[in-house]
Amino acid sequence: MKFGKRLKQQIQETLPGWRDKFLSYKELKKLVRLVSSAPMLLNGSLEYGKAEEQFVYLLNSEIEKFNAFFMEQEEDFVIWHKELQHRIKRVIDTWGPNGSQPSDADCKAEMAKIRKDIVDFHGEMVLLVNYSIVNYTGLAKILKKYDKRTGGLLRLPFIQKVLEQPFFTTDLISKLVKECESTIDAVFPAEEEQRTREVREATTVAEEGIFRNTVAALQTMQEIRRGSSTYGHFSLPPLNLPDSELIQSFQLNSPIPIV
Amino acid sequence: MDARPALSIRRSGANQLSSMGISGPLSSSLPVLPTPLEETYPKLPDSQQVSMERELVTRPLTHVSHLSSDSGVVGHIFSSSSGFSSDLHYSSVSPHEKHSRNSPFISQSSTNGASLPFTHSSHSESLESTTSSHYLKENTASWHTDSLPSFLDFPVNTSIENGQVESSNCNGVLASEEFSKWADQLITDDDALTSNWNELLADSNVADLEPKMAYQVPKPSPNFPSHQSQVHLQLPAPSGEIHAVATPSSSAPAKPRMRWTPELHEAFVEAVNQLGGSERATPKGVLKLMKVEGLTIYHVKSHLQKYRTARYRPESAEGSSEKKLTPIEEMSSLDLKTGIEITEALRLQMEVQKRLHEQLEIQRNLQLRIEEQGRCLQMMFEKQCKSGIDKLKASAPSSDAVPDSPDKSELEDSQVDHGKTVTDPGSANTRMEERSPEQKAPEAKAPQNSEPDACESNSQPSKRPRKDE
Repeated sequence: MKFGKRLKQQIQETLPGWRDKFLSYKELKKLVRLVSSAPMLLNGSLEYGKAEEQFVYLLNSEIEKFNAFFMEQEEDFVIWHKELQHRIKRVIDTWGPNGSQPSDADCKAEMAKIRKDIVDFHGEMVLLVNYSIVNYTGLAKILKKYDKRTGGLLRLPFIQKVLEQPFFTTDLISKLVKECESTIDAVFPAEEEQRTREVREATTVAEEGIFRNTVAALQTMQEIRRGSSTYGHFSLPPLNLPDSELIQSFQLNSPIPIV
Repeated sequence: MDARPALSIRRSGANQLSSMGISGPLSSSLPVLPTPLEETYPKLPDSQQVSMERELVTRPLTHVSHLSSDSGVVGHIFSSSSGFSSDLHYSSVSPHEKHSRNSPFISQSSTNGASLPFTHSSHSESLESTTSSHYLKENTASWHTDSLPSFLDFPVNTSIENGQVESSNCNGVLASEEFSKWADQLITDDDALTSNWNELLADSNVADLEPKMAYQVPKPSPNFPSHQSQVHLQLPAPSGEIHAVATPSSSAPAKPRMRWTPELHEAFVEAVNQLGGSERATPKGVLKLMKVEGLTIYHVKSHLQKYRTARYRPESAEGSSEKKLTPIEEMSSLDLKTGIEITEALRLQMEVQKRLHEQLEIQRNLQLRIEEQGRCLQMMFEKQCKSGIDKLKASAPSSDAVPDSPDKSELEDSQVDHGKTVTDPGSANTRMEERSPEQKAPEAKAPQNSEPDACESNSQPSKRPRKDE
């Protein structure tokens, strides 16, 4: 139940629009239990077949759900990516190559807006990649459970199929993320070390922003990979974050309860 | 009434089948056909119709390729346990075409007991229901509750149009195309399925049956992604992809999902600009200008909408996930000093995000590699046990049975034999498990290469005792 709990946590802390797009891990676990408890008689069991059918059906519809959501988001990202570039170009055209001229308030405002948007855009893309990986991990785990409980061999072919699915092929998104990072380097002024430290101390992530979700995602990933009771050759090694103290220092206040 | 001609056709079909040597229950149940339809439709098949269930399950699939007039009906075929009638009808209408395919199934079912086919049918039904739901996304709600009369109509329709239906594909060209392609693929894969089923039927050992059936269930499903990729190949849009979700219906239009890439989007923006901007451009015009094969007006429409939102209301667009005011924004209203603080806060956010992304990439690569290794291991175990069994059979052990470095092309063959259980994989497994905790995340390819070698060397000692026997 460890993964299930972590998944639940992550879902709770994720962006509101995404909450129902994650894997229905609990549902699937119920079905696995159903399948493993259904008697496997010599003349074939109605219940077993039905349960298995349900399980596979749910798996497939989940995958379809992931694909639909993922491609929808991807489309948005493609559009925004282009849009941001367009906006930056516009600023440069209007106010010259150095966007941070103190004389022009509009320019500054626009640049500030662009910077914020880029960072949020970057964050959202990363969260989508996280979404993809979390769901994949969930699928892998549930399939492993299924095979273990029922002695079936559903896992291998299914995972092969999953690997080809759009929601798992996140190459485009990663590419956009990298492009974003390089754009940001160009758009942000030079870093000042002292200020960074001050801000760092002061930051508490209070609301349901992208930043908060990112931190949550990192923490969750760390915890998921902390150590497994059922360690097999399909398990991931523990996560060693170089800056784990930094991450831990972000205080995540309890989210505003959604009625 | 429509039922009458349908019945007569069915009867002739039944006679045909009985002439092929079908057991009694078939013809006796024929007169009561209309009622079992109603009774058993929502439920899973009971033992009476068991012997016929199996082969008719594949029939509906091939049927579907010829019929795209009514989504409800199509859905019906899939979910109906008494597609029995459709099967008979099918065989009666086009006996010359599919006769050869009919007989192996039917003769098989008559020789085998009721037990095996029964579970097969439920599995295959799950196949169909899975896959059909996969495809009939729009109609998943409707097909369970669709009315019987349409089902009864169906045989009459196809009897008339069977030869012509394929060519007279109705609206939603893409959908029906996809659908028939999909069904075609299933037909071509039928041979593979047939051989599998023959294997299964011949094998009376239930212990083996379960894993094999479990394997059966997802097998056609992998066809779908490959089918989708087939679609990709056939519609070479400028690096755009269409993921087929076919909805063969006269009412609902086809809505395959489009995967937008930056290049495709650029073409889109070009077209929009040529037409005078996002406000003035119409979906039709853009579609025409873009000249991308496989792109439908629905894709363009929704994309245009998104584009407009992104252009003119960036706050609502980028905050589509209902982002609330962060502390950073609260500070934003003021002066230069705060401006720098904001920037720094943004930088921090950026750092964390970058970190997350890095870790995600690493994890993803790891997972891919793990799957890869798992596959190789699996394959090697199977080769090993295969050769082990061969050795047990043959008196003279062959020394060239040593597995080579993992060859992916052999994977399919090995997957078929997965039902056999061997103790060796278990021991080698534990050895792998001991080794994997030692691996840390960002290690180079070395572990991957050494693992197969290690496996090979492991397999050697386990072979030796056998050899000495």
